[in-house]
Amino acid sequence: MHPFSCNSDYHEVSRRQMLGLLAGGATAGSLNIGILLTPSVAADVRQQGKQVLFIWLDGGISQLESWDPKPRSEFGGPYRAISTSVPGVEFSELVPHTARQMDKLAVIRSMSTKDENHSTGVARVQRGDPKNRGVDYPFLGSALAKLLPPPTNNLPPYMHIKPGRGGFQWQDAGFLGARYGALTLGEGKPPIHIIRPNGIDDPRDDARNTLRRQLNQQFRDKHRESDLAAYEYSYDTAEQLMKRRDLFDETGVPPADVARYGTHPLGRHLLQARRLLEAGVQFVKVTSYHWDMHGDNFNMHRQLVPQIDQPFAAIIEDLHTRGMLDNVLVVLMSEFGRTPKINTRLGRDHWPEAWSLILAGCGIKRGVVVGKTTANGAFCDGTEYDCGNLFHTIFQAVGIDAAKTEYVNNGQPLPIAHEEHSKISEVLA
Amino acid sequence: MHPLFHCRLLLAVTFALGQVAYADLHEQIDQAISAKAGGDVAAPATDEEFARRLFLDLAGNIPTADEVTAFVADANPNKRTALIDRLLAAPQYGRRMQEAMTAMLLERRTGSIPDKEWNKYLTDSFNANKPWNVLTRELLFADDDEGLKPARKFLGVTGREKAPHQMTQDIARLLLGRSIMCAQCHDHPNIGDYTQAEYFGLFSYLQDKPEQAKSEFESVFVKGKKETFPRLPGKEQVTIPVFTKEQVNEAKAFRPRLLLARDLPTTDNEHFNRNIANRLWFLMMGRGLVQPLDLHHSANPPSHPELLKLLADDFAAHQYDVKYLFRQIALSKAYQRTSQIPAGANPRQFAPESYRIFNPKPLSPEQLAWSTMRATGNLVALEAAGVPEKSTFGWYNYINGRVANPPGNIPDVLDLFVGVFGNPPGEAEMDFTPSMGQALFLLNERLLQHWLEPGNGNLIELVKKQTDSSVIVETMYLTIYSRRPTETERNVGIEFLTTHKARGDLALADLAWALIASDEFRMNH
Repeated sequence: MHPFSCNSDYHEVSRRQMLGLLAGGATAGSLNIGILLTPSVAADVRQQGKQVLFIWLDGGISQLESWDPKPRSEFGGPYRAISTSVPGVEFSELVPHTARQMDKLAVIRSMSTKDENHSTGVARVQRGDPKNRGVDYPFLGSALAKLLPPPTNNLPPYMHIKPGRGGFQWQDAGFLGARYGALTLGEGKPPIHIIRPNGIDDPRDDARNTLRRQLNQQFRDKHRESDLAAYEYSYDTAEQLMKRRDLFDETGVPPADVARYGTHPLGRHLLQARRLLEAGVQFVKVTSYHWDMHGDNFNMHRQLVPQIDQPFAAIIEDLHTRGMLDNVLVVLMSEFGRTPKINTRLGRDHWPEAWSLILAGCGIKRGVVVGKTTANGAFCDGTEYDCGNLFHTIFQAVGIDAAKTEYVNNGQPLPIAHEEHSKISEVLA
Repeated sequence: MHPLFHCRLLLAVTFALGQVAYADLHEQIDQAISAKAGGDVAAPATDEEFARRLFLDLAGNIPTADEVTAFVADANPNKRTALIDRLLAAPQYGRRMQEAMTAMLLERRTGSIPDKEWNKYLTDSFNANKPWNVLTRELLFADDDEGLKPARKFLGVTGREKAPHQMTQDIARLLLGRSIMCAQCHDHPNIGDYTQAEYFGLFSYLQDKPEQAKSEFESVFVKGKKETFPRLPGKEQVTIPVFTKEQVNEAKAFRPRLLLARDLPTTDNEHFNRNIANRLWFLMMGRGLVQPLDLHHSANPPSHPELLKLLADDFAAHQYDVKYLFRQIALSKAYQRTSQIPAGANPRQFAPESYRIFNPKPLSPEQLAWSTMRATGNLVALEAAGVPEKSTFGWYNYINGRVANPPGNIPDVLDLFVGVFGNPPGEAEMDFTPSMGQALFLLNERLLQHWLEPGNGNLIELVKKQTDSSVIVETMYLTIYSRRPTETERNVGIEFLTTHKARGDLALADLAWALIASDEFRMNH
């Protein structure tokens, strides 16, 4: 008997719920899908209130120009290495702010994945690259929206801040179904309908909604309930989100914070991410594009890398001083690294063979480096880690044992992470 | 093959005593339902309930206030039947079926043939009452007929085009009622009826060339390669001859998908018959006799097995006449009963599969769009607005604040409602799945606010001229809910208008909004 009977066709509950719907625990008729865990497993769950910040640098940041410098080596390039707040650990000189936060971080330098393509690589990595089962696995945010206990704060469990357009994004959810998608803030902006049009003030809104509910009560007295309860719930959650307009309102943000994070998009988005985490949003993804530099590597990285260095260090610092770092798991990564060998355009190309990522926070050791690369940085030296290892590690860090947990999709049991890989124990606290 | 033409007589004899010798299908429907109801069935719907329900189901829109009033006042004892026939003959029927079948068959996938052409093809097909088997044949294979080009959209949309596995899965679900995705890699672990051999039998039909029509497959659980020619579930393999390079014309006759168009939509294909009977029943009754619609198998029997068989056989015997089937369902007492739980009764006793009350169903995105346009009194002006050659509106850009203005013509309005209320591509719209985003839309969308500002002869402009609050409430109820208010409701409405009198037009708009945003408007009951 599988502990998780999620969205099986044999249940009354439909698996094809629209996204945007909160995975709330409210018993609103057909929305009672907050009950994901059998009582015995729920007792094991030690992850009450855990949160995740997932920072995605799309395109592939160069590990040699950031977390695993090889100065004065064949492929090292012109930049020097600097010491960090952990003796013996050096970063590229392009990341001085993050270097000062190294004592709170865990750097994994021996990531080795197989996919050198963006198109497939991005999805593979963000889905944890499980063994092919003929279904689309969910991205990490959707997976955790499903696997973690539903938040009690009426906020969407998975929010995504990115440049470009947003909305209610269902693609990430894979076989879990659209409702586990992300509420996506394009340019950090909320969906347009979160703001009431001019001319509808609170009294008007209260009056019209009171009347709406009164009409509904009469209708409900004479008709079958469950669909109607679901409809009412959708209004409730909408109104809850509207009350949190402050989350999307930048005017109250202290200018000092804005300066610390930087006024560039990634800076602003990471500051917004901090505010969402402070408000209790369970999973916040921040995406930054254009890290795929195939030419003019050193100039481009000199411009780009500070854009992550500054706000990333700021958010680590802020989570720490707010006492949130024990509760928030932070992941900073790309889909691969960049080639040690410089190409003819003075650039680096895709390099999944050996690259780095950073973990920090909930369940993660502080101030450690796990794994290493060879002297010239081309290959891993020692144990290599794949996406599967990473997902096992992430799940473990937030208290989910991937070996004991599975999805059940239409009766098909599915592991939550690649069953042939295991967690990276050296990085776990 | 048993004589289907005699099935009516055969079954009339089998059913309860005291029935006439030849029972029409709708009577047999009622006999089957009451035999299994497990308790009293609800009273007939009121004229107002019935009119709204029928208009939505057959015309895709609520009736106007005048149409409701006229129907209620009509003294003709056969007025319900007359309304059914009138709506089936009206052009809105074709449009409604185009919308319902686009959602059901394309599942919001895009690409390939432009929407306008596909919509016209489907609308015309339903208005001409094209038999379902003929339509299916065209959707599966229209390669050789330029006149049927729009039909190619069914298999040409993004996700299906050049993706024979997706085509296999979608054809199995939508045309045969079998969700066989899992059987791509192995026999279905839980559903004995769905085998890998069946999957690849269908897959073989979806290859381009005769020489590709034999598929090899191996279960990931059980070693041993197998192969199959094209084969429909429950049928024999079709042998594809080997052709030389010169035998171009002979080979053409064995194009696998052409053979599928020949073999799948036939009267002796039970899966084909049962699937469509179930789906057409679902469109009217809010629930399939087999639920979910794409999960027919021996361990998931219909709630009323004999009834499904009857509908399937009778539909086939009537040359897959869609209007015939809808007419018979609409004539049944099961369709015409109220959705209201009898006073004092326990709602839990009225399980949906009993049909003891009519099962409310949500308005589709299109029905919601049309009904909101009509309810706010803006439909006439929007129809007059005409349609630009090329739309500059896109709902996704609009909700991201990249399109400045709300839509101002009907196709763009439909685009917005379908975008907000429809499912993502590939997700069937079979259940009511209200979302926070949709609620936010109804609460805050400028277009709705604009529709509730007086102008263009709309509802608010009309009631604004009225000084008697009682008349205002009555007009609003008739226009929006398609019924008169009860005394209590009238008083509630009057009180609202009186309390908020100072807001003037806005009070009117808010009363109308509350009705539109409520359960009663959202559902087809």
